[in-house]
Amino acid sequence: MRAVVLDGIVIGLAFGLLGVGMTLVYGLGGVINLAYGQIVVVGAIIASLVIERGHSQAVAAVVGILAAVGVSLLLDLTLLRPVYRQHGEERILLGLLLTLGAAFVIVGLLTARYPTGALFISITGEPVSILGVPMSRGSIWASVIALAVGAALLVFLGLTTFGRGLRSVIQDETGARLVGINPAFVRTVVFALSGALAGIVAVTQSMSGPLEVNRGFELTTFALIVTVVGGLGSVAGAFLAGVLLGVVNALSAHYIGQYITSVILLGVAALTILIRPRGLLGR
Amino acid sequence: MSEAAERTGRAPGGGPGLAGYAGRAVLPIVAAAAILVLLPSVWFADSPYTTSLAVKALVFASYGIGFNLIFGCTNQLFLCVGALAGIGGYSTAILADRSSLPTGASIAAAVAIAAIVGGLLSWIAVRRSLGVIFTGIVTLVFSLAFANFLLGQRDLTGSETGLVITGTPSGIADDQVGGYYLFVGVVVAFLVVFRILQLSHVGWAFRGLRDDEMAAELAGVDVARYRVYAATVGSAMIGLTGALYAYSAGFVSPDTYAFQQVDVRVLVLVAFGGLGALLGPLIGAGVLAVVDERLTTAQGEVWGFDVVQLREFFYGVFVIAIFLFFRHGVVHAAVTLARRAGRRRRRDAGPPRPAPSER
Repeated sequence: MRAVVLDGIVIGLAFGLLGVGMTLVYGLGGVINLAYGQIVVVGAIIASLVIERGHSQAVAAVVGILAAVGVSLLLDLTLLRPVYRQHGEERILLGLLLTLGAAFVIVGLLTARYPTGALFISITGEPVSILGVPMSRGSIWASVIALAVGAALLVFLGLTTFGRGLRSVIQDETGARLVGINPAFVRTVVFALSGALAGIVAVTQSMSGPLEVNRGFELTTFALIVTVVGGLGSVAGAFLAGVLLGVVNALSAHYIGQYITSVILLGVAALTILIRPRGLLGR
Repeated sequence: MSEAAERTGRAPGGGPGLAGYAGRAVLPIVAAAAILVLLPSVWFADSPYTTSLAVKALVFASYGIGFNLIFGCTNQLFLCVGALAGIGGYSTAILADRSSLPTGASIAAAVAIAAIVGGLLSWIAVRRSLGVIFTGIVTLVFSLAFANFLLGQRDLTGSETGLVITGTPSGIADDQVGGYYLFVGVVVAFLVVFRILQLSHVGWAFRGLRDDEMAAELAGVDVARYRVYAATVGSAMIGLTGALYAYSAGFVSPDTYAFQQVDVRVLVLVAFGGLGALLGPLIGAGVLAVVDERLTTAQGEVWGFDVVQLREFFYGVFVIAIFLFFRHGVVHAAVTLARRAGRRRRRDAGPPRPAPSER
């Protein structure tokens, strides 16, 4: 039981990071990025190529994260420009469809070039006992990284001037513009940030098992569900929802069975949306 | 856009008259039906392969018309077309297998189930006043749950292998001309229903609530009721198509109704044709079928890749291109073009007239 819950938390923290990346972009740009999972995969595949070349895993991780940042920036600076000229539901729909197209482009190129590509970062060492449960070092590293990144994000958003500016754009774009904040610049920075989060998830996910090239859509779906359950635009909510869904996922997978688990997981998500349409911590 | 189409044809100086109005209402459907009926004899009558592709295009056009009614007319993003079609398909397959119901009755029951599920989803969305995105996500979650349910309930649904449907009436298989005409009938019937709804008081309510929900509500339109109504009728269409396709194909499997296979394509083809446009889904399905076929049979190499491997890539490029350049769909683009040409002709012929207001 304890082992299952801990496993769930490890996976949930990664979901949480993904949810944060998606929720920031939505809160700021009004774009639901359906190519988000593919950005994770790009980071993973590039990192795996760097490892193949004989570089160390740490170098590969950094290069992978930078690659994810690059793809994310590219999306923001090219494809999404026409989207930002739209408003309201038009913007959401156009963003949805264009990023869906981008997702196909990315997955199409990657699977054509690297049909069996996968990133696996192996962390050696004896399992460490936590609360009496032996946990693999990879899982522990993944959780520590996710927690550290999450804490850094909360500090960044809550305490720095830029973070305050960013939150002001989320609350009221016109108001932010009036006090001298450039929303386009903030948006670009946030896209870079969400790309970095995608790259970090690629690295942490591959510490406990290989991350294959075809996992993009699955990751996007998880990010989407976590985002919505946590509340669109809420960073802490996304983390909470990620951990919660991770634990529900692990528990029901262990005690009930895989397929029904997904039904339960999705049912929990749907119920949260229906009971609290703004999400757990949404405003 | 349909209303744009209706406006453009209006003759200068007065209304079109009742006959003209009725003629314009049915003309596109008659034209489409004629083309569809004649197509086999001039193109693919003897090729089972091409016939099955055409049947698939018609099936997607039918899904598209149902989706268009739900999303295009009442702004409810139902990302569960595949699931609703699957409810139709699996219900008929299971009923036909385990009960002694005749074929027609099991199809009718399946359609009723799909309609009820669709109506319920819409009712929930309306009651909780979920916006476009949240409706989309709740229905997406429903789709994923349905897919997992299909995989999990091995005894009932046969898991990955699916179910074989016995007792299919001969001649409507999806690679025979009989199957083709069956779905031509379905598409034409759906188009007629769609047109009748558009021209009735329901259509006025749809247009009102899509343009400005608040204003429609204030003007006395029961937005909630019309939304549920559209979702129920649209889901019945989707369920019927799914059920008939199951019979035509002779089996059902999770793949037939998978989200990636159905919903993504339906969304793309309806948006390509133009949301709310009568013939939009049919045109979109046709174009998408041709693109698909080209991508599947293309040969050669691009940048050292086999073209077939790059199918998904080209599909993505296609999706991006159409939404960058035809944001309101090809029907809208064609109507705008025609209107411009018409105005120019009129300007050349006589004194300048005030331009009709653009939407």
